[in-house]
Amino acid sequence: MSRLNAYALTWRLPIIIWQILFFLGPLLFMIAMSFFLVKNYRMIEAFEFKNWDKMLSRGYVWDSYWLTLGMAALSTAIASLVAFPAAFFLAFKSSENLRRWAIFLLIIPFFTSYLVRTFSWYVILAESGVINALIGNIGLGPYTMLNTKFGTIVGYLTLTLPLVVILQTVSLANVDKTLIQAAQNLGCSPWRTIRAVIIPAAKAGLIVAALFCFILSFGDFVAPYYLGGSKPPTLPILIIDTTKSGQQWPRAAVVAVMMMVTLFTIAFASIILAYRKRASK
Amino acid sequence: MTESLVVLDRVVKRFGTFTAVREANLTIEQGEFIAIMGPSGCGKTTTLRMLAGLEEPSEGEIRIGGKRMNAVPPHERDTPMVWQSLALFPFLNARENVEFGLKMRGVDAPERKRRALEWLERLEIGQFAERNIETLSGGQKQRVALARSLITEPQLLLLDEPLSALDAHLVIRMQSVLTRLQRELGITFVYVTHSQSEAFAMADRVVIMAQGEIAQVGKPRDIYRAPANRFVAEFVGRNNILSGRIAGADAGFVQVETPVGTLTVQADGTPPAVGTEASFVVAADMVHIDRAPDGAANSVQASLISEEFVGSVVTLFLEADDGTEFKVQLQERALAALEPRTGDVFHLSWKAEDAHLLPGAAI
Repeated sequence: MSRLNAYALTWRLPIIIWQILFFLGPLLFMIAMSFFLVKNYRMIEAFEFKNWDKMLSRGYVWDSYWLTLGMAALSTAIASLVAFPAAFFLAFKSSENLRRWAIFLLIIPFFTSYLVRTFSWYVILAESGVINALIGNIGLGPYTMLNTKFGTIVGYLTLTLPLVVILQTVSLANVDKTLIQAAQNLGCSPWRTIRAVIIPAAKAGLIVAALFCFILSFGDFVAPYYLGGSKPPTLPILIIDTTKSGQQWPRAAVVAVMMMVTLFTIAFASIILAYRKRASK
Repeated sequence: MTESLVVLDRVVKRFGTFTAVREANLTIEQGEFIAIMGPSGCGKTTTLRMLAGLEEPSEGEIRIGGKRMNAVPPHERDTPMVWQSLALFPFLNARENVEFGLKMRGVDAPERKRRALEWLERLEIGQFAERNIETLSGGQKQRVALARSLITEPQLLLLDEPLSALDAHLVIRMQSVLTRLQRELGITFVYVTHSQSEAFAMADRVVIMAQGEIAQVGKPRDIYRAPANRFVAEFVGRNNILSGRIAGADAGFVQVETPVGTLTVQADGTPPAVGTEASFVVAADMVHIDRAPDGAANSVQASLISEEFVGSVVTLFLEADDGTEFKVQLQERALAALEPRTGDVFHLSWKAEDAHLLPGAAI
């Protein structure tokens, strides 16, 4: 028994050590830091609830919190809805070959830095940018798209949409085609199979895709900062601002812990929802 | 006169350059239990899928209840199917699976539930109604699948090798469930299988398919005793197939000159001309085997090569001097009296009426 376990452990050890050193360790340190104090621009080890009191009682923190949560949720909803028809086509209507190419092409955006891709939206969305120039020709605009919530969402989708399409395509392609035929055989129209069979059968994958979108959007700094104008700030921007103003690392840690708790809760709930088996009486 | 429930009129199905079904003609009556049987790739499942509307015929016409069905999509037909993989919805429990067809037809929830429970009761799995599909055994899932396809009370039920995943003892059990249901409901079953025992045990008529063509349609007994051609003779049961030249004919019998001697064979209809090539078939269980010649007209000497036991039935494999192989089937207790040993020489004989001439020239 011990030999087999030693073998298994040898291979698991690197990832365990990695996770302890670079995930669990910093996380615990960050939680501890949220109780530290700052005096004369220097951090002092302590165990005080001052930072928590201060941050949780400030209206602007909660404004940022609900804004970030709402924007991430909106981005998740839009990405899931926009991705679905594309993923549906790739999973059911396209040839195997086209599907492979499409997935390859969807990976290409990840070759370039997200920051670079975000900046390219500047050119497109600016007051004197491509879109306004085009619609200006037919007498519309110019519209302000940069430094708005719209800009933030565009940025979020730049980050998440290709991934959501890939994850949805994979999960839809894995739906047993016989189930769809069986449903039609029992009088279910092709349109209705989407809701009656395909979505329930691919549920886990669709939820995981949405979860990824939410996590990436919720923690993203680039889109709200460069395209959203950071007013009011989302939580990641708030963290940066807090560290810059008077070396308030402990207060920034409070915001970070708030984000971690939120993400843990949502991720946990999503996974339960995704893999919940039907109750069997 | 009303038309048969199902009519296949010169139906052809091509997939690209491959022809899965060629010129199939078949009529199925109301209340019949039809088994379509054949080796893998013979076109039996394609034929079934065309009845369900999952494939559209390339040529010809399919009529169900007198109506041309070629282009009618699956969801607008009432031809439920029991799938080889069962295809139960894993995200629904047993009762909800059964309700599915009614839900699609807009039946309201309480009525759906009542009828689903009725069907589950009828198939003796009422206590599992609210169970997750994955927690059910193979036999229970099978019954859920049956209930799901029967709940809309169709005239025609399609079954695609539904018992192939079950244990042998469960297969026998489900066979009796199926035949009983079919008789009680009086609806038509079209049952696709590669298993001769399933087909012959349940079906009123058996359709034998080979390479996309219907090779023979008939009652199980007729197919077994008088196969229409060499393929059917080889595919069905343990048959001895002999070839030779017609040496003479008289009063419904012909003499066939074969490498193992001149043998008398029953000839239905017009016997082939003297001098032509012919094949005939003798079922293995119609061959009498003995150590001494019994004086019968059709007698052949052959030595034992091997034996095969299936339950209480034994098949002996023998070889005549010229290499012609013979199969003899007998009960295990008859074998004890014979005390066969490999290499022993036996006399094989059969009645002329038990030998059937195969139509067409010898192959």
